[in-house]
Amino acid sequence: MTTQHVAGRVRPPGRWRAALTGYAFVFPAVALFAVMGVYTIGSGLALSFAKWNGFTPDWIWVGFENYLDLIYADPSLAPPLRAASWNTVQVMVLVPLLTVAISLPLAVVLNSVRRLRAVLRSVYFLPYVTSGIAVYYAWRYILEPDGAINLLLRSLGLGTLAQPQGFLGNPSTALPTLIVVLVWSSVPIATLLYLTGLQAIDPALFEAARIDGAAPRQVLRRITWPLLTPLTAGVVLLGVRDSLHGFQIFLIMTGGGPGGHTDVLGLQAYRLAFFKGLAATLGVSSALGWLLFAGALLLTLVNARLLRRVR
Amino acid sequence: MTSRARILTVALCGVLAAACSTGTQPSAPADGGQATGPSLRMWTFKQSHADALNKAAAQFKTDTGISVVVEAVTPDDVFVAKVQSSAQTGDLPDVLEVHAGGEDRELGASGLLADLSADVGAEWLNRLLPTTREAGLMSQAVIDRAAPDSPIKQVKPGTLFSVPFTAGAFGIVYANKAKLQAAGLSPDTPPKTWEEFVAALKATTGKEPEAGGLSLGLKVSQTGFNWVYQPLAHSYLGRDRFHALFAKGAAQGFASPDGVRTLELYGQLTPYWMPSSTTLNIDEADIAFAQGKSAFNVGGTFTLAFLAQNGMSPDKVLAFPIPPSAAGQQKEIAMAPLALTSLGVTATAENREAAIKWIDFATSAKGAGIIASASLDLPATDLGADAASLVGPDLAALQKYFTGTPESSYDAADTTFFPPDYDQVKPGDAMVRLSPLKERAPAQAGAELDEIFGAMWKSSE
Repeated sequence: MTTQHVAGRVRPPGRWRAALTGYAFVFPAVALFAVMGVYTIGSGLALSFAKWNGFTPDWIWVGFENYLDLIYADPSLAPPLRAASWNTVQVMVLVPLLTVAISLPLAVVLNSVRRLRAVLRSVYFLPYVTSGIAVYYAWRYILEPDGAINLLLRSLGLGTLAQPQGFLGNPSTALPTLIVVLVWSSVPIATLLYLTGLQAIDPALFEAARIDGAAPRQVLRRITWPLLTPLTAGVVLLGVRDSLHGFQIFLIMTGGGPGGHTDVLGLQAYRLAFFKGLAATLGVSSALGWLLFAGALLLTLVNARLLRRVR
Repeated sequence: MTSRARILTVALCGVLAAACSTGTQPSAPADGGQATGPSLRMWTFKQSHADALNKAAAQFKTDTGISVVVEAVTPDDVFVAKVQSSAQTGDLPDVLEVHAGGEDRELGASGLLADLSADVGAEWLNRLLPTTREAGLMSQAVIDRAAPDSPIKQVKPGTLFSVPFTAGAFGIVYANKAKLQAAGLSPDTPPKTWEEFVAALKATTGKEPEAGGLSLGLKVSQTGFNWVYQPLAHSYLGRDRFHALFAKGAAQGFASPDGVRTLELYGQLTPYWMPSSTTLNIDEADIAFAQGKSAFNVGGTFTLAFLAQNGMSPDKVLAFPIPPSAAGQQKEIAMAPLALTSLGVTATAENREAAIKWIDFATSAKGAGIIASASLDLPATDLGADAASLVGPDLAALQKYFTGTPESSYDAADTTFFPPDYDQVKPGDAMVRLSPLKERAPAQAGAELDEIFGAMWKSSE
């Protein structure tokens, strides 16, 4: 019996080889994800139902106790978590909003300039390229009492705006300053996304609007903004995700201070895991991570629903 | 098989062989020469200790033929993460230097450190400063005080997980002699009382408003609470009333007249903090002091070595403990030296006997002398009359504050009155809100501290 007789049920040898080659190419990525992804996620989820200090051979299973402790049951854990939640919400709302408010007009301007367009794009993209721990240290030096910003303000005769304790040492300016730095580092990628979106819009639409006498502000509001809504949703989502999970900037620039005024949930999770004197708090830290994941998932679903409605 | 396939097969076998053999190679000896005896690996979380330990290791190899390679894994959180992951993969070194009186107990109780009680006898322990000898010992009291979910609860009393290695005290003030002189103060006479200290701060900041204050790494907020407030409150109230501040149900807590008065004393520092103290970590604050950005700096005995590494010669510094208030109970302050770091042998050490020999050497007068002179850090080993020649006259001079009666000595290692799950960041943040932020009055800060400690006691139930 030849393969032709059962065509439709058995693949010809050439197609088998092609399929196997495909699977062979996919296998390393799948295997890597199975080990580094599925295992880690599963292990992390299991850990959130246990108490463990990272060293003992066995975990102590506690069910939902870690989650309940974080939410209300532990009087030592829950109140600081609520304060950190409020800081996180402020970051989560303001960073995406300001990012969109800055990057969209910036992208429109960059899209319209003809001279030095490539140079300007590179310049505005620099914060993204150089972003990271070194940049956060650089920002710390700039924001110190004798740093560049205070120096600039004083030399411009705006000494009353200068911060004698530095912008990170004053409780009323510390969190807003960190939000500004976060926006500064997220604007480049958002601008780049908007630029690609702008270039995908049919120029005939802009031309028609101009012929109809629409002002640039109206073009932005009535044509550009609605057509870029999916991109905006993506930018907002990225910003929310980074705000929920990110803790590096808070760890390096303020450590949650001064006096806990810049404590955020990501930093709390990090502290619970590594700065509790080897107490068995890895499970609580993991539970906090999963609560953050649930929050992010919820926001994603809300975002997707809103997006569908806009479309 | 084609020639290309043969080459690929050989290459794959080579890669597999290399991968399988990784981790089984003995470590290179410290001097880079051929290892003739057993070889040990050791990790420490202090860079300055790694260099000093490697120097001692060279002498140890000459004496015994045993090679030791010491690697620094810094900072602390990276050290903890590396120990955690290596414990899971079975790749721990033979010896670990860890924080004494806490980390060593947790690691030992978790099965990572071996019990040394049969190997470390009275003769060995008697070499050490008396107040450090029991740092690694799991006494019944230590087991009883542990949090209910701590593995320490399962340990047999009498187990010894580590041997004290370095010792010292917190709450040591360093003053820049040149700035004292410029402010019209004696560069050689330390303030005898808290009030004199505050007056000295007023004089130096009067002379230099931006660079005459007090530096302390308040980004690590607990430094203010641990290094300044606690010795101050201890000397003001005396031991028993100081312990009462932290007690369960605290009738005489921080909001009591006792507590509020001590918080008021601490609040007197508010005008004199170095600008942006709250944004500096411990090392950065020390560096700021070494660079002349402040006139006073608070640290521990270990800070002197760090200042020297950063260009501030010890002879340009006047060092003294946090002075007692003139209105307080104790007029003379003494700091009980506590074990700061300890050495432990891992439970998976392949050559336990050699590892114990190495710890024995590192804590002997000879080994500790080599390490102390290279690191400018006080060893837990009593160096006796050789101390001044080994660690320098300035650091040795601090040892005079180590002698006092049990009532007058502030012992930072005594944590018997803290809640089992004590988290020092929370009271630290509250103290920062009192000073320098001035967000709380002393009475409000006292109430907040009582609430924090009350919650810790409650959650440990």
